[in-house]
Amino acid sequence: MFEPEVLDRIIERLAAPDDSTVNTSMRLPAALREAAALAVEHLGVASSTTTLTSSALRSALETAVMDAALELHFKRHPSARPSLAEVAMALAVQDASPLAARRDLIERAAAEVVARHPDADADDVLLWAEAQQAMTA
Amino acid sequence: MRTIILDNEAVQAMWPDHRKHRAIAAHLVAVVARRRRGADVKAVVPTTVRVEAGWNRTSPQASHANRFRVVDAPLDSATANDAADIVRRVGVSVADAHVGAVARATTGDVVVLTSDPADVQRASAPKAVVTVRI
Repeated sequence: MFEPEVLDRIIERLAAPDDSTVNTSMRLPAALREAAALAVEHLGVASSTTTLTSSALRSALETAVMDAALELHFKRHPSARPSLAEVAMALAVQDASPLAARRDLIERAAAEVVARHPDADADDVLLWAEAQQAMTA
Repeated sequence: MRTIILDNEAVQAMWPDHRKHRAIAAHLVAVVARRRRGADVKAVVPTTVRVEAGWNRTSPQASHANRFRVVDAPLDSATANDAADIVRRVGVSVADAHVGAVARATTGDVVVLTSDPADVQRASAPKAVVTVRI
């Protein structure tokens, strides 16, 4: 288990102004870098390969920090950990999905999908619930 | 792109002794779940809401909340002007007006986690927002 202070240090660095850069010794696979350069030039995915690389890295780090922070929190407060069905329900209301009115369906879908796919996430639950709903319509 | 805005009670529910803590935790886990799938989702708190809720980021009691990556939406000059108009137009609190101003200035989908969906809808108009009662 990591020290919580590590998260704080990562968060502090993520929040720091982006006004300085470093020449990194990070090695990128040549083909990946070439693919990124082509995507920047022809698909307009970012203004430069540096921007593309740094924004993807930032996004990945932010997600990892949020995930780690929540896991740390739930270890300290186990009763705060939401079930898969509760997370799926939260997604449904955020999406303004009609499924948000069918808590029973989401709870059943969560139980069914996890029985077959233990690593299923909340979106898998919503897809399963929607499929079940379509089959009975 | 989706922005999740927290209002006063949603912020207070980030503390584990709050009766709605598990509900707000579900929403934060949902943000992570979508981000893992590559979606551009972030959670923000208008700084005026943070004042109203008593969330001082330098307080040791706030360390867990700071780690959830709910980032500040500051009350800069342009946002203050819009929030002032919202207060005059619909008579909501300063914090709710700031929520409305942030929603109106945000590109993409906006979801507001709130104890008062009606006030948030009025403050955010004409921006269409999804309000989620917590």
